[in-house]
Amino acid sequence: MKIAVAGKGGSGKTTIAGGLARILARSGQSVLAIDADPNPNLAVSLGMDQDTAAKIRPVPHSFIHHTEDANGRYSVGMSVAPEQIVADYGAAAPDGVTLLLIGRVEPDQAGAG
Amino acid sequence: MEAGLEHLKRGTLEHAETLLIVVEPYFKSLEAAGRIAELARNLGVPEVYAVANKVQSERDETAIREYCAACQLDVLAIVPHDADVAEAERQGRAVLDIAPDANAVAELTDLANHLMSNSVQSATGQVATDTVPA
Repeated sequence: MKIAVAGKGGSGKTTIAGGLARILARSGQSVLAIDADPNPNLAVSLGMDQDTAAKIRPVPHSFIHHTEDANGRYSVGMSVAPEQIVADYGAAAPDGVTLLLIGRVEPDQAGAG
Repeated sequence: MEAGLEHLKRGTLEHAETLLIVVEPYFKSLEAAGRIAELARNLGVPEVYAVANKVQSERDETAIREYCAACQLDVLAIVPHDADVAEAERQGRAVLDIAPDANAVAELTDLANHLMSNSVQSATGQVATDTVPA
């Protein structure tokens, strides 16, 4: 199953997503948690050590491209196979959850776009 | 545009099967949830639900249930306001680790069981967060 979590800022999306991911993993599900927040902190809500969390390499922006069709609808594409991205950038979180950071805004992007 | 909707518009959600919209018991949060639900349905997300969070009273729960009913949004879980969650946030740790018996954890466990029983059995579960900048 593919579950997305949304809501207004501060509503507790990350806390709920982190708890849910670990509970699903404990129930025997293979869980890939994707933090798409430009300012990500799902790692901490998953219970990763803060120093380890700070060292996770985000998936490079160049791997992901956004396209817009004639109706103005956006879609997301990847230039690298998803399996390869998970193998190279997936971080091990408690209970066997794998975490990917996608979309983190880097300091050199501040003010751009 | 309301904060966060640009993420949905960007197509991040196009492959999601289930969207959980986390909602707090105050009007702006409910209003945002209603808009997110409408957008997600327009994008073709098959299952869109609300998850109430930080609920402190019956009045809070009623407010969320009434607003969500008006938006045709089922409320899958009522996660209570929980001092253990607040403490975990303070410490930068997971509530599962510092207070595994917290009420909020019990409610999330029920939610996880519900999601698993409703989904087609699959070898791979994915939890994606499509998050709103604070």
